[in-house]
Amino acid sequence: MKLFMLLFASLCCLSGQGLDPAALLTPATSTWPTYNGDYSGRRYSALKQINAGNVSSLSLAWAFQTHSDALKSTPLEVNGVLYFTVPDNVWAIDARNGRLIWHYSRPSQGDHVGQRGVAMYKDRLYFGTPDAHLVCLNARDGKEIWDVEIADVKFGYYISVAPLVVKDRLIIGTSGDQVDTPHFVEAIDPKTGKVIWRWDTLPRPDTPGAETWPNKEALTHGGGPAWLTGTYDPNLNLIFWGTGNPHPVLAGVARPGRNLYTCSIVALDADTGKLVWFFQPSPHDTHDWDAVETPVLFDAEFHGRQRKLLAQASRNGYYFLLDRTTGEHLLTAPFVPTDWASGLNARGEPIARKDKEPQPDGSLVEAYLEGATNWMAPSFDPETKLFYVNAFDGFMVYYLTLNRNNRPDDHQGGAASSLWSQSLLVAIDYESGHIRWTRKGEEGEGHPGILTTAGHLLFTGDTSGNLLALDPENGHTLWHVNAGGSLGSSPMTYELDGRQYVVTGVDGVLYAWALPGT
Amino acid sequence: MLVLPPNSGKLFPRVRTGIRIALLLVLYTPLRGIADDNPPQSEAARRGHAQFSQSCAFCHGANGAGTTEGPNLLRSGVVRHDQNGNLIAPVVRDGRPGKGMPAVHITDSQIADVVAFLHWRLDDADRATPADAHDSSLQHLLTGNADAGKAFFNGAGRCSHCHSPSGDLAGIATKYAPADLQARFLYPADVPKTASITTPSGAQVTGQLLYQDEFSIAVKDREGWYHSWASSEVKFQIQDPLVAHLELLHEYTPASVHDVFAYLETLK
Repeated sequence: MKLFMLLFASLCCLSGQGLDPAALLTPATSTWPTYNGDYSGRRYSALKQINAGNVSSLSLAWAFQTHSDALKSTPLEVNGVLYFTVPDNVWAIDARNGRLIWHYSRPSQGDHVGQRGVAMYKDRLYFGTPDAHLVCLNARDGKEIWDVEIADVKFGYYISVAPLVVKDRLIIGTSGDQVDTPHFVEAIDPKTGKVIWRWDTLPRPDTPGAETWPNKEALTHGGGPAWLTGTYDPNLNLIFWGTGNPHPVLAGVARPGRNLYTCSIVALDADTGKLVWFFQPSPHDTHDWDAVETPVLFDAEFHGRQRKLLAQASRNGYYFLLDRTTGEHLLTAPFVPTDWASGLNARGEPIARKDKEPQPDGSLVEAYLEGATNWMAPSFDPETKLFYVNAFDGFMVYYLTLNRNNRPDDHQGGAASSLWSQSLLVAIDYESGHIRWTRKGEEGEGHPGILTTAGHLLFTGDTSGNLLALDPENGHTLWHVNAGGSLGSSPMTYELDGRQYVVTGVDGVLYAWALPGT
Repeated sequence: MLVLPPNSGKLFPRVRTGIRIALLLVLYTPLRGIADDNPPQSEAARRGHAQFSQSCAFCHGANGAGTTEGPNLLRSGVVRHDQNGNLIAPVVRDGRPGKGMPAVHITDSQIADVVAFLHWRLDDADRATPADAHDSSLQHLLTGNADAGKAFFNGAGRCSHCHSPSGDLAGIATKYAPADLQARFLYPADVPKTASITTPSGAQVTGQLLYQDEFSIAVKDREGWYHSWASSEVKFQIQDPLVAHLELLHEYTPASVHDVFAYLETLK
């Protein structure tokens, strides 16, 4: 009987180690329970033990070596455990000391370019795979509970997104642009893996939006992957998600029209998946400029009136500010130098210049191969009221390639040569779109995300391999270290036993930083 | 598309690879397979390409990407799920009468070759990224006016301040493939910067700039030795020979880009 009681007590304790989805309704203060830290996508933490006054003494607390490719996921921190990923792999480690708890490995075919992380629902974790499956794991030991196919890997689909838990469902989107395929956002039952609703990023033929495509063939192969985790407003019960570029990628001639709902920010009813509103940062994109970048949510004044806002620094080089209740466009402003657009239309969308579209003899465009920004997370600091994004300025030559039948021979329909580029960390005044400050980096590789904290700090990395803590008011360096590699994910933070940690994934190593003696 | 290969000097070999594709389309010679980024074409696939051109291309296009007469096979579930011809071969052999596709009367061996070609095509097409080179033949690129390009070179472009058609640019069109030349004249990214450092003691070191950020700076001196300093402890001046190229990137019009290219192509 004693043994039974002990087991029962243990089970009760263990069940208490999970994550009640209701806890996500209140922004976490000391944990990091979802991809962006909370539903808003601000990546702003209220923690301030590490602050501008003491960050110069920030030191290594521990490191965890994955012996894997670059970490591109943001770890979750729940009840003293960190959960993070690379394609085919999930790790659970002790958030106090970086010791391994368990490791899950599932080798698969498919695209292994990136994996953003897991979602946690009660005592389970959810993980997308290169072969476009969704896997449910027991958070206690990493044992597989179920494994369902979301899409057909033979058509280039994969799942890189970190699922978003909304009430009693998981929201996911599909990745992949090796093939001209349609994409979708789905709500999945976390208990069974069954689909609750599905929203197609391309409208069905003969439904609103289909008229923005030349024909059914183009429409049903038009791309629009939904490959980054969106955000959620519980009061509006709206999910906000970005969609990717149309297909063929560079050959716009094959798909005249706005090509809805590619390169769009959409608001979906969380219960039904119905489209409530949309805004399209890049109508008829011909430069591979996904609008999947995090739709960041905050409440603030716009022209003297308090608003529920949504801000996105989009891959096309423009910052967009919308009213997230209605989708009303409020502001469009460039955050990097670029010349592909001639102005804004009545909807606030940039007007693409025909002469900057890919051309058979090459079109010189002020842009970077990966766009003005990409999957590295931005941050909004409610204290400075600045929106921060790691960006690129650059010059490219874009080519259009068609065969004798005036069709592209592959899903690209062209190519691009990168001439010159420079990394930039840009601080944008959320209300005016004006650039408050810019920190120029060097040439080099890097996709560092950004974390801001109530400690009056901005954590990020640069393309030279430095990890940085900056003054968010002006970008001045307060702490730095050469971490021996590239920060390929976004920093996150949590507090455990009274000690605040900042975690950074550098190449395949997870580093935790803390103040000495705390 | 999400993350693409970063800007690197490997770009130019990729461009050359793309030009090889143009030959491939004409000669059915798998030159693209020579390059590291592209899948090699087996003997069977090579034979299958020729067979495909003869028996299938009229409806499905020379590379299977479709025409108004027949669908794009790169988007076909039959092709994408095929294993060693188990799905493709019956369709070729029996046709799809309900969809207007006739049976194709070729041997089992020839069908196997076509299957090998289609699998190669899928692999090849799926690997395409925006960073890949394109079919950039001189015919496609040579749209500018050479005389206007020469005038720009000697006038508004200020190119003649540093370059000479009878000096460093003599025969330049024979040294680089057309797409390489176009990218290189716009911005030849592999040209190093130099830095002149003045140390706290007043010593001067000049050399090739190896590294520089907010925190440190490093050069290789004329004897090949490496030196580094904390950026805050030295004075330094950096000479970037590509400054004028970068300025010009902001000044080119679509016409002047192609005019200058046309002029440089005359420097054989």
